[in-house]
Amino acid sequence: MLVNTYSKRVFNMAYQFAGSYEEAEDLTQDIFLKLYHSLTKYDFGKNFTAWLLTLAKNHLIDTYRRTKWEKTNRDDFDEHFFIVENAESPEAALVKEVNQKMVWESLNHLSSDIRMAIILRDIQDKTYEEIAEITGLPIGTVKSRVSRGRLQLAKILQEKKEGSDGL
Amino acid sequence: MDCERIEDLLSSCLEGELCASEKRLIESHLAACQACSLLYSALRETREALSDFPEVEVSESLMSKLHAIPESKKKFSFSFDFVLKPSLQPVFATAAIFLTVLSFYLFNPDKKYIDRTIDQKIHLGYSQVEKLYAKAGSWTDRLADYKDNVLGSLKNWKIFGGKKDEIKT
Repeated sequence: MLVNTYSKRVFNMAYQFAGSYEEAEDLTQDIFLKLYHSLTKYDFGKNFTAWLLTLAKNHLIDTYRRTKWEKTNRDDFDEHFFIVENAESPEAALVKEVNQKMVWESLNHLSSDIRMAIILRDIQDKTYEEIAEITGLPIGTVKSRVSRGRLQLAKILQEKKEGSDGL
Repeated sequence: MDCERIEDLLSSCLEGELCASEKRLIESHLAACQACSLLYSALRETREALSDFPEVEVSESLMSKLHAIPESKKKFSFSFDFVLKPSLQPVFATAAIFLTVLSFYLFNPDKKYIDRTIDQKIHLGYSQVEKLYAKAGSWTDRLADYKDNVLGSLKNWKIFGGKKDEIKT
């Protein structure tokens, strides 16, 4: 029941954070193991999804800090993502795909806390209130992290584009 | 307004969270500053790219592993995870040092000599404590004498009804 409902959400969060499919599979298993260990601690008055995502977020960031797995190379973008073409023209679709590849590769340049804020806000489309609940941070801090992350990614994107134009 | 301050507001501008006056300020700055204008375009492209990331499907093998977890949990319901808690590390370090010292003592060929030395040291320490206790006793007697002397001389002062100049014989 829990696996069917939440495995995709947890796995995607792990994959977006770690950038490696195999790593994300291991992390998802660890998160579900932790979940079964911690179920007795769950307060039924709280939102279960937010509680589970908090547990997942903590595990991902703790593992990242403990193992210092700092992979500059994430999986190739099109290795596991299947793009659905919904752009107005083939050129626009191409530009979009190039941007997505660049942004995907740049995610590991962000610190773990900022990367998590960006994943929750911009990829998973959570509200600032939901992110504040998951991370246990004030909304102002979440907004600041998201803003910093977006700016860092935008600057990296600019540099990459300038680099590719120069070639 | 400088570019740095504008940068801080660009993310909120992207989400339409700024008030009308701030929005006008940003628009006029972006019209005049090419660097900020390019950054804003990159920011918009970044956000679009992130929001369009497709979801990845979970593999069958992972699903079966995840479904198997509760069963394995039932078989091994006791976990030693608590052993890995960072808060227990000082306890383990202290225990390791204690066991090392204990092993040096227990397996030392000169154990009898060590026992004798420890015995001597304990006795020496005990006799020193006794001496110290006796000294402390003499000090309390001395203090009592001093107190009597001080009280006696105070009583002789004029303000307390005594005769200060009178020499006590």
